[in-house]
Amino acid sequence: MILSVRDLKVSFRTNDGLVRAIDGVSFDLDESEILGVVGESGSGKTVSLLAVMGLITDPNASIEGSIRYKGRELVGLPARELRRLRGNEIAMIFQDPMTALTPVYTIGWQIAEQIRAHQNISKAKAIVRVEELLAEVNFPNPHEAMSRYPHQLSGGMRQRAVIAMALSCNPALLVADEPTTALDVTVQAGILDLVRKLRATHKSAVVFITHDMGVVSELADRVMVMYAGRVVERGSRTDLFSDPRHPYTRALLGSIPPLTGEKPRRLPAIPGSPPSLLRLPQGCAFGPRCPVHYEHCVTDKPELGIGTHAAACFRVARA
Amino acid sequence: MIDSPILETRSLGKRFSIGTRFSADGKRTVHAVDNVSLTVRRGETIGLVGESGCGKSTLARCLVRLYDISDGELLFEGEDITSKSLSELRPLRRRLQMVFQDPSASLNPRRRVGDLVAEPLRIHGKLSSREITARVAELFELVGLLPDHAIRYPHEFSGGQRQRVGIARAIALNPDLVVLDEPVSALDVSVQAQIVNLLADLQEKLNLTYIFIAHDLSVVRQVSTRIAVMYLGSIIEEGPAEDVFATSAHPYSQALISAVPVVETMPSGTRKRIILTGDVPSPLKPPSGCRFHPRCPIAVERCRTERPELREYRPGRKVACHFPTV
Repeated sequence: MILSVRDLKVSFRTNDGLVRAIDGVSFDLDESEILGVVGESGSGKTVSLLAVMGLITDPNASIEGSIRYKGRELVGLPARELRRLRGNEIAMIFQDPMTALTPVYTIGWQIAEQIRAHQNISKAKAIVRVEELLAEVNFPNPHEAMSRYPHQLSGGMRQRAVIAMALSCNPALLVADEPTTALDVTVQAGILDLVRKLRATHKSAVVFITHDMGVVSELADRVMVMYAGRVVERGSRTDLFSDPRHPYTRALLGSIPPLTGEKPRRLPAIPGSPPSLLRLPQGCAFGPRCPVHYEHCVTDKPELGIGTHAAACFRVARA
Repeated sequence: MIDSPILETRSLGKRFSIGTRFSADGKRTVHAVDNVSLTVRRGETIGLVGESGCGKSTLARCLVRLYDISDGELLFEGEDITSKSLSELRPLRRRLQMVFQDPSASLNPRRRVGDLVAEPLRIHGKLSSREITARVAELFELVGLLPDHAIRYPHEFSGGQRQRVGIARAIALNPDLVVLDEPVSALDVSVQAQIVNLLADLQEKLNLTYIFIAHDLSVVRQVSTRIAVMYLGSIIEEGPAEDVFATSAHPYSQALISAVPVVETMPSGTRKRIILTGDVPSPLKPPSGCRFHPRCPIAVERCRTERPELREYRPGRKVACHFPTV
């Protein structure tokens, strides 16, 4: 087990009240496993991973629960210790590669800096390693790319450079937050291939956050669907997509227009919009938008329960 | 009533000059849109697809004359509007409207949404204030907003509701043609379908013609009657939406469509994926011959030297390729 998160709760104090960004999230991750986390904006998918990375430094934030990395508790670990893990053992890729790159240094310089920050090797050796890494992430001309500045590269190339940087220390855990959302589908296909290759060659475990069900179904081994700060369904890719149980998962899958076959005249849309985290309903957060709900959906919060394929829904529990 | 062309372009082109004579590379010209001939018929939806930088947004803006046109002609209902002056265009603006990607960026945060929707009516219409209020209420109902929403400010709305406001503004003056530039891309997945359905309903009710741009190909397929695939400023394939997706003729369209991730319940590997190597070349230095040849899996010598024309190989289907899959 690489990562084990138990009952993670993250909330932020704001002028308008307490924002419960994550309300009791638990999951496990094995070596060389890809976990897909799907959800809309405000579902808590990014915040939960920022918590894992120890990147929530807001003084108004409170983090409860347990995050164990290779058996070691990360919640409450001093910043210095966390820094040793981050970049070295745990790496992260963000949606916008420009946020991870400085515009004033070359790609080669930035990746070499990262290597030398975590490993005790000479500059010359680091540079050789950079070239290998760039070749590994399919830069057509790695030697030349090293002397390029970020603005001279296309979006896809920049994201590859960031991935090369994330891989430079052979991380055991790679966290990718919507890494392909800003990219064209043609470029996205290449990046997804790359993530698959890394899992195979480096045995890295990957947490892949996205809002795109298609991406998850092509990449992930296991899937976790989040809504309003809670996990509403989890299961293996095959289970979740062949037998989606939570009404939200079903509705999301149903609202994607088909790419082949006959076009539906109207798309089955989900009414309403995601709830505000400041004013979550007392019962099930999806209740107000749910096509089927019982009286106690309004008063009680459904629990996810145990098992490899589970959904936090009273209706599923009854069936 | 899909027959008479409402909008037509003939070899339309848009050039931008970048740099000055003092820049390192001197003054240069980008052909953002190059030799586009497109016919838009009343009541249909044309979907423009292609990678970022392919010129689809530039083309859309040329079509409503938000950009001046560099080459070729633009005809609206048969009348040449290529070089009409701004004052001559004014009566036309009412009939050509646009909806933008980011509704929060196109709505003034300091004004109530009722006011924002009334704005085009005040500028263009000759309505009394009572008539304007009535029309705003009617528009709110059309786009699925509640009447008491009118006194709220844009920040009080969710993304989906803001886009409804943007749509209400665009249809306020009963336009004939609406250009939708990535109207659902900034929205949550669960809300996208609502807006897609709303657009379809409005099109039917108001007999609108749409030019629809989105990078999500499955959304484009759902919305469009016809699709034009663009690459480096030119249309390389055109045809009915379902046909272009089912049997694309151009190797680029095939690669683009095969790259869309789809939810598969079956074990993966049932779909064949064509992965393109390299990036879209810079439109500053477009490749010789067929502009797709450096990335094309089936390119031969002829593709390097001779540029294929967009030609109709079957009624309604056009392709610009020397070796199309037909």
